[in-house]
Amino acid sequence: MKFVKFILPLLLMFMQTALSSQLHVVATYGYIGDIVQRIGKDKVEVVALARGDYNPHVIVPKPSYIAKLRGADLLVINGGQLEIGWLPQIIRQANNGNVQSGAKGFLDLSKYVHLIDVPSSVSREMGDVHPEGNPHFFLDPDNLPIIAKAITDRLSELDPENRSFYEANNNDLTNQWKQKVKTWEEKLKPLKGEKIVEYHRIFDYFLRRFGFTIVATIEPLPGIPPTTKHIADVERMIGSEHVKYILQDVYNPQDASQYLAKRLNVKVLILPHDVGAVKEADNVFNVFEEIVRRLTNG
Amino acid sequence: MNLKHPCISVVLLLFLFSSGAMHAQSNEGSSFDQSKFVPDIAFILDASAVARDIKDQQYYSLTTPGVTFPFLTERGSSGASAHRGMNFNYGELSLYSVVDPYFDLFAVIGLSPESAGLEEAYFSSRKLPYGLKLKAGKFLSSFGRVNEQHEHFWDFSNRPLIAAALFGEEGLNEIGAQMTWVAPTSYYLVFGAEVLNGENQQSFGTTGFIRPTDGAAVDAVQGPNLYVGFVRSSIDIGDASILFGVSDAFGKTRADQSVSSIVPTHEAVDANTNIIGVNLTMKYSLDAIRFISFQSEYMHRSIDGTLYTTGPADEAIMPNLEKRHSGMYAQAVAMLDQRWEAGLRYDLLMQNDVTTGGIDQHQPSQLPRYSAMIEYYPTEFSRFRLQLDRDESLFVPTATGVSRRPYTQIVLQANLAIGAHGAHAF
Repeated sequence: MKFVKFILPLLLMFMQTALSSQLHVVATYGYIGDIVQRIGKDKVEVVALARGDYNPHVIVPKPSYIAKLRGADLLVINGGQLEIGWLPQIIRQANNGNVQSGAKGFLDLSKYVHLIDVPSSVSREMGDVHPEGNPHFFLDPDNLPIIAKAITDRLSELDPENRSFYEANNNDLTNQWKQKVKTWEEKLKPLKGEKIVEYHRIFDYFLRRFGFTIVATIEPLPGIPPTTKHIADVERMIGSEHVKYILQDVYNPQDASQYLAKRLNVKVLILPHDVGAVKEADNVFNVFEEIVRRLTNG
Repeated sequence: MNLKHPCISVVLLLFLFSSGAMHAQSNEGSSFDQSKFVPDIAFILDASAVARDIKDQQYYSLTTPGVTFPFLTERGSSGASAHRGMNFNYGELSLYSVVDPYFDLFAVIGLSPESAGLEEAYFSSRKLPYGLKLKAGKFLSSFGRVNEQHEHFWDFSNRPLIAAALFGEEGLNEIGAQMTWVAPTSYYLVFGAEVLNGENQQSFGTTGFIRPTDGAAVDAVQGPNLYVGFVRSSIDIGDASILFGVSDAFGKTRADQSVSSIVPTHEAVDANTNIIGVNLTMKYSLDAIRFISFQSEYMHRSIDGTLYTTGPADEAIMPNLEKRHSGMYAQAVAMLDQRWEAGLRYDLLMQNDVTTGGIDQHQPSQLPRYSAMIEYYPTEFSRFRLQLDRDESLFVPTATGVSRRPYTQIVLQANLAIGAHGAHAF
């Protein structure tokens, strides 16, 4: 009897995974999960691992992630070494051949988009540099159709029967997206050429796309917390360059930015970088809506 | 060509070699270029400065009577930070690469100023079906929690007392194979089994010997000698992750003091040993940067067999040997901000029951150690730790037996890494 009590729920759970015809997709970040959901709809079951309001570089590799990856048909990652500190061990421990790097069920989105700021040489004296370029490419809205296409193609490859379904959803998403990008462009027009300071080079793709000029970062080097000397330099630059905004992500300490805001005529804007970073940014559309809203209200 | 002087031939050879190398260089990026296949390489350096209120010679002779087994009765100078003053603890060269679509290969080469040794070298499967994975070679056993972790991953500079007492300062590191199965459950559940040679001198061993009592031979144990099984499971409650594990290791213990002799009497042991371990880890994220973690392990060892030794009148005797040892540690660590971490640890050797021929040997038990540390990370590639230990678990030999010798130490440790970025496990 004891045996049955123990084994039965196990068997049921096993059957659950075995019987459902949905594709099981694991996404490392919320934005990826949302795009997969929009293309796969009811044909996929998606889980996003990292919390949207945490630092995407340093995610705690919870053992529960291993369980999620164990039964996955597809793992979609941001790539560009954004996950290098936490994901490789999870993949190794998941004992799932489908999602090992190089397998059909492993999709690295950074391979499909053009990465900016690829360093010509790398050394850790430059801080935590990414040799393949800036990995925060999702924040260029023109990259979303490329990402969506890569996901559509991979879903179709794994589940060819539903190819036309995925492609139709991708078309809808892309059209809707392009419309939205136009409205964002319109709203941001008055801010073109505006000079800004950001904490970490996380909003570069967005800022370049909409014609902002990045004057400085609060971090002296990627991943290195600000020093008094560096903050004094930034303060001088904010003055001489007439910077109006400091853009801050949700996860890094805000004391340096707030200190500068108190001393100078500059405003700190907290912007979402991923789905779930702030309450309003609950899907990919709303991440950009919210960035635009906060920039234009600022 | 007839060369009279060996020096000339060496110079000639060098010339031929270097011209060959130059030729190869000019062909860089050519049809046979292999540079893209270089594995991920990392090098870790660990050094420390130690202040301790006990002289080194006396420190090396420290022992926990009854626990350290079978003949390595002294603490010795093994382990990190063993000397007062400056210590070069280790250099560690690690290599990793995918072999082909089916296998991964890892190697860790431990380096000291005098020697190099293969600490770990194993391959593991990438594509076994049904959630299975096979790993084989030389590796740190997955028994418990702290054993399979490399030292630079630890939150404290030394191994927990009970882990060092049962497996030694190098841990349970064996040649063998491991199979794991991740269950298809919604929560994390993994089962593992290991078949190992079981040469660990602290708890196992395979050496044969001649019985001092009657001169009969006790053969060496034919491998494999050690079997390990473990189960781990984890659940998340909100932003807290809880990892729980149970392990068991059993094998034969066969040891002869003539192999590892400190005590000048002839003693040998033939026994069966079983070790169970329970571990619990909890990690709770306060926000994107700060977290608090709690980790604890309990281990229990039972050894049952025969001791071959000499009695009070120098006569050969072979009493039954029965040993029961247990211990635990509990530690709490907090990440205070991006660069500072602090923690406390409590170690306790609880049970120390040794019975020979049915007579209790009255060994000391309930032996504690207290540790506190603070760590500073300039980046994730460099860290500096200041640790304070108060160790009340060790004894010094005296004319009449042993006497307790508590000591206090302060360790300032530096750990730096270059090369490939290591991914952290939970």
